[in-house]
Amino acid sequence: MKKVYLYATCLGTAAMQESVLNSVKLLRREGVEVIFKKNQTCCSQPSFNSGYFKESKNIALYNINLFEKDYPIVVPSGSCAGMMSHDYLELFKDDNNFERVKEFSSRVIELSQYLDEVLNVNYEDKGEPIKVTWHSNCHALRIQKSIQASKNLIKRLKNVELIDLEYEEECCGFGGTFSVKESEISNAMAREKIKNIQKTGAKYLISGDGGCLMNIAGTMSKMGLDIKGVHLYDFLVKRLEGVKI
Amino acid sequence: MSEQHKLPHEQIVKIKLNDEQMRENLSNAMHTLQKNRLKLIDEKFNDWQGLRERAKQAKNNALMSLNERLLEFEKNATKNGIQVHWASSDEDACEIIYELMREKNISKILKGKSMASEEIGLNHYLENKGLKAVETDLGELILQLNGETPVHIVVPAIHKNRYEIGEIFKDKLGSELESEPEKLNAIARKHLRDEFEGLKMGLSGVNFAMSEEGAFWLIENEGNGRMCTTASDIHVALCGIEKVMQSFEDAATMVHLLTPSATGQFIPTYNNIITGPRKNGDLDGPKEVHVILFDHHRSDMLAHEDYYEALRCIRCGACMNFCPVYDKIGGHTYQTVYPGPIGEVISPNIFGIDHTGDILNFCSLCGRCSEVCPVKIPLADLIRKLRSNKVGQGKNPPLGANMLHHNAAEAFAFRNFEKIATSGNLWRFSLSKAHYFNWFIQSFKNTLPVVKKWSQFKDLPQIKKNLYKELENIEGVSCE
Ligand code: SF4
Repeated sequence: MKKVYLYATCLGTAAMQESVLNSVKLLRREGVEVIFKKNQTCCSQPSFNSGYFKESKNIALYNINLFEKDYPIVVPSGSCAGMMSHDYLELFKDDNNFERVKEFSSRVIELSQYLDEVLNVNYEDKGEPIKVTWHSNCHALRIQKSIQASKNLIKRLKNVELIDLEYEEECCGFGGTFSVKESEISNAMAREKIKNIQKTGAKYLISGDGGCLMNIAGTMSKMGLDIKGVHLYDFLVKRLEGVKI
Repeated sequence: MSEQHKLPHEQIVKIKLNDEQMRENLSNAMHTLQKNRLKLIDEKFNDWQGLRERAKQAKNNALMSLNERLLEFEKNATKNGIQVHWASSDEDACEIIYELMREKNISKILKGKSMASEEIGLNHYLENKGLKAVETDLGELILQLNGETPVHIVVPAIHKNRYEIGEIFKDKLGSELESEPEKLNAIARKHLRDEFEGLKMGLSGVNFAMSEEGAFWLIENEGNGRMCTTASDIHVALCGIEKVMQSFEDAATMVHLLTPSATGQFIPTYNNIITGPRKNGDLDGPKEVHVILFDHHRSDMLAHEDYYEALRCIRCGACMNFCPVYDKIGGHTYQTVYPGPIGEVISPNIFGIDHTGDILNFCSLCGRCSEVCPVKIPLADLIRKLRSNKVGQGKNPPLGANMLHHNAAEAFAFRNFEKIATSGNLWRFSLSKAHYFNWFIQSFKNTLPVVKKWSQFKDLPQIKKNLYKELENIEGVSCE
């Protein structure tokens, strides 16, 4: 029996709890046992990206102590997975704790990578035929490199047509604290993204990242568009259960 | 530098974001450059990544032995008849040019494209002394006529479309109103031909200097650079010390990366390799060639454990061509000579983080710049490190860090964040208090007056469930 830690991320525990529960469902479906550490918090990306390295290191060490056993740490977010599997190493480059950090980081994996590459899941799509488009989160794309795995999962669904998004590799403007500090530039970036999403003609935007979704879908809903942003793991569960999106 | 006229950060952002025409011009131009680059790499290169690695090594080798390289360059260049000058500051560099002009009784020089001359503020310096520097690069010329500075390090006037350029030519040169590229070119050519006549001193930058050869390499597309370097009696080249490399082969590796990265061309239209002044029997070429090797805080950067990496930059502009922030706000918003991701790294190091540090905000850390940079400068990581220096953390802070005013309220918010994020109880307690996800934003509300605007643009998700309770009820899940 496989056993994993689930790292829910700060967004997951605070706002996107549905997606966390669906992530659990996807793991349980494959018979994987899930350990949920109740004291888990955040990967420290907000402070790290703002330059507060001292605070970030303390948060990282907190996580490293919390997820002490040898299980894989599965994260339903490429951004946080990238932070913990890659950026922690940078943060602790010249630190005494480096070896411990390295051990922790090597266990971190994004959920779609775990489903696609480790479990090689088999999916039966019970939903109606639909067209969707995909937004790549920058950190998932360039640091965690989990985008291919995420798309592979969607491609396993026979009734889902995945339409390419033009300029997919351009940032949507979230960037954590960036969207707060430079809200107007961030909004201009989100609008540009949305213009391209509209061009695909798809009514659903799927993404594996809660932050980007909150940014893009939040802007689309404010604009009154009838395009829905759906988290990858919510989407998968609904397709597998044949529930309307 | 024109930093005296700096506008407040928020104000310049607003102005530029509202400039629809500029944004459209930039977005079109950037997407074309991106496509050209990708297509070329795909079609013409077998091992682009290998070439990048080689270039990184070659440049690092040169930087790690820079002292030796510079002295070797001086020795060999002098042997070739090139006069080598040393300048430690921007002022020094300007003064050397000024002295040369005075000595020869010259009141006007013609310039090929050179960001180095922008960096040292040459035009302004000469103007104050009653002397003139005339731009000959088409983009630079357009901007000089219009009283602007370059918006991009490779394509300085990329924010203007051909109709706007036609208007500028009509207003400033008294030409007919045109918008066809050929006709616009003809107007510029005629204007410049008149300037080139009787040219005494030409100024250029340097792309790569080769220490073993004592020569330097200049690439360009328009041919005006060649005019500036060969048609004049005296050629002066401005060269940052980091441009010196060991061998001709090393420089050739860089040129192979530079044009594809910059514009998506396989090779530049003109390769000028300058080995010295006109020799006996030569039919043309300048009678004197001068090179000014200037430092301007580059040795400080070289001594830094992280920021030295930015000295590998070959000024190809790819990082800005691919930057999703740059194409929304344009290069002028950075209000410093070097814009875009590389500007965010070198401007604080060269001009001081105290008055250029605000541009570190112009980055969502998407990492695309690091991905495309041909010499593998980890731009996003360096920007993050500079942010850390800006808030008073990090080792070995750059120039001007001691003059920074730290945002105490922000620091407090992050200390608070640390406290909550290192305690499961506090974490759950603060979540239970939040009706929206914005508790995270709430923690910054005292420091960041823009929070309201954020929710102005976006609807926020609502919390619906008690996550912990639901998890406990799932079979096969253990909550520890
Ligand atoms: S940092 Fe890299 S991509 Fe940017 S201009 Fe320099 S060499 Fe080109």
